[in-house]
Amino acid sequence: MLQIHAPGLEQVQEKREAAFPEKAGTAFPADLCQNKELSRYSDEPRQLRSGGLGKNASLQLGFERRGDRTALIKLDRRAPLLVQQALYWDEEMPGLPCVSIISNAGGILQGDRYAIGIDLAEGAEAHVTTQAATKIHEMDANFATQTQDITLAAGAYLEYLPLPVIPHKNCRFVSHTRIRIDPTATLLYSEILMPGRKHYANGELFAYDLLSVAVQAERPDGKALFAEKFVIEPRSADIRNIAVMAGFDVFANVLLLTPKAHTDRLFEQIDPVFDPKQGWAAGISRLPGDAGLIFKVLGMETQLVRAKVREFWSRVRREVKGVPIPEEFLWE
Amino acid sequence: MSDLTRLLQLLQFSDSALPVGAFTFSNGLESAIQKGAVHDAASLREFVFTAVRQAATLDGIALLTAHRAAQAADVRSIVATDHAAYQRRLNEEMRTMTVRMGKKLGELGEHLVGTGLLADWNAMIRSGATPGTFPIGFALVTSGFGIDARQAFAAHQYGVASMILGAALRLMRITFLETQAILLEVNAAIEEIYEEIHTDTLDDMRSFAPVADILAAVHLKAHLRMFMN
Repeated sequence: MLQIHAPGLEQVQEKREAAFPEKAGTAFPADLCQNKELSRYSDEPRQLRSGGLGKNASLQLGFERRGDRTALIKLDRRAPLLVQQALYWDEEMPGLPCVSIISNAGGILQGDRYAIGIDLAEGAEAHVTTQAATKIHEMDANFATQTQDITLAAGAYLEYLPLPVIPHKNCRFVSHTRIRIDPTATLLYSEILMPGRKHYANGELFAYDLLSVAVQAERPDGKALFAEKFVIEPRSADIRNIAVMAGFDVFANVLLLTPKAHTDRLFEQIDPVFDPKQGWAAGISRLPGDAGLIFKVLGMETQLVRAKVREFWSRVRREVKGVPIPEEFLWE
Repeated sequence: MSDLTRLLQLLQFSDSALPVGAFTFSNGLESAIQKGAVHDAASLREFVFTAVRQAATLDGIALLTAHRAAQAADVRSIVATDHAAYQRRLNEEMRTMTVRMGKKLGELGEHLVGTGLLADWNAMIRSGATPGTFPIGFALVTSGFGIDARQAFAAHQYGVASMILGAALRLMRITFLETQAILLEVNAAIEEIYEEIHTDTLDDMRSFAPVADILAAVHLKAHLRMFMN
C-alpha cells in the first residue's frame, strides 16, 4: 500500500480520531456483496479474483483547517485509485484544496471492490472531483462495488462533484454512500449517470445489467436524516416508461446538505422545468429532517445536464460562501 | 370471525370512500397531465404502473415489515419502520400525503379497533416521536383486524392505483371504461410484485422514477392546482 505521510501527521491523526468517534450504529463499509440484487452475479471472474490485490482500491482523504487554508492532512491510497496532491487553483477560494481522484485501471472492472473515505474536520473546506468519467466496463462474471464514507464536522464545506459514470454493456455496479454531517456543515454531492456509451457503435443505451446506487445521511450522533436507493435493471424493467426515464438519456442526482437558512433561500431561487422539446427537465425538493435539498436533472446529452449541475453549484457557492465558482477549464 | 366478514373489511379499508382524504391527492398525476407527460389512456397506464411499482418497493416493504412488527407487538420496530418510510420519501408533497393520510387512518383505526397498539401509535404521532406514515397505519389497522400481511399489501397497492385513477377522471379526458381496464391490469400483476418484495428488509427499499420525481417537484411550485400532490 502506498502511503504519504506529512510531518507530524500521527498526532493529527489521533486528534482526528478523537473528533470522529466510531458510532455504535451500522457497520461501515457495508458488505455490499450481500445485497439482494447481486445474488445472481456471484460467479468469480476468470481474471484476478474479486476483491484481490489490484481490485480492492482504497482512498482515504482527510482535510483540516490550517489558518487561511485547508490542508490535505491524510492521504492513504491503495491502487488503482490514487490522488497526487491537493492543488489550490480556485482563484475564487484560494484556501480551497482541489483534489482529483485518478484511477490507473482505466475504469471499474468485474470483481472490483472500491472504498473511498472523505473526512473534513471543523471549518475545513475542500473540492473533490475525478480526473475523468468513471467507465464501468463490460462484465461477463461477478460485479463491482464502491463504498463511500463522507464525514463533515461543524462548519465544514465540501464540494464533491465527480465526472459522470458510464455503465458499459452488461455491467453490474453497486455503490453505497454514507454521509455523516454536522447541522452547520455544507455538502454538495452530485452523481451523473449516463445511459452507456451513447455514441459507440450503433449507440449503447441502457444495455447494462444492474446499477444500484444508495445514499444514506445521518447526523454525527447517529440520527438518520434520509435515504435513497435506486435499483436500475434495464433488462427487466421498462426504463422508457413515461414516469421513469421517458425519452431522456442522462440523469443527475444532486444532494445539497446545508443549514436551513441556505436551503430556504436556494429553494426560492430555483424553478422546476419540464421541457422534453428542449431536451431537459429539472426539479428541486426539500429533504426530510431539514437536511437540505435534492436537485434532479434529466437531459438528452451530458453537456446540458452537466451545465445545469454547474449552474446549481454556482448558486450554492454564492449562497453558502458568497463567492462565484471558477470559470470552466478550456478543455471541458 | 367469518371469511366473508374479513373479506368485506378488506374491501372497506381499500375503498376510496375510506375517510383518509385520498381523494385530495393525485400522487403526482396532476403535474404529469399539466406537462403533457400523461395525455391518454396508454400514458396514464404507464404512469400508474410505475406508481404502483414504487408503492410496492418503498411503502409495500414498510407495510409488510410493520405488519410483522404489529403481530409481535414490537413497538420499537413499528416506530423504526415508520421513520424509514418517511425518510425515503424525498419529495415533500409525497411526505405530506403519507403523514396526512396516515394520521387520519390512525384515528379511524383507533376508533374502530381500539387496540392498544393504534392508540400508542397515535399518541406517538402527536408527541412527534414517530412521523405517522400511511403504510404503517395500514399495517396496524389490518393487523388489528386479523387481516394477513399479504392481503393487506394487495389492498394497499389497490388503494394507490384507485387514487390515481380517480384523480385521472377529474383531470383528463378519459372514460370510466378505460380507468377500470387499467385497474384490472394492475390487479392482475399483484402476485408477481408481492413475490418479488415480500422477503425484503428496510434496507432493500428502493425506487427509480426520475421523471415522476421531477413532476412531483413541478407540482410543488405550480400555481394552479386542484390536488395536494
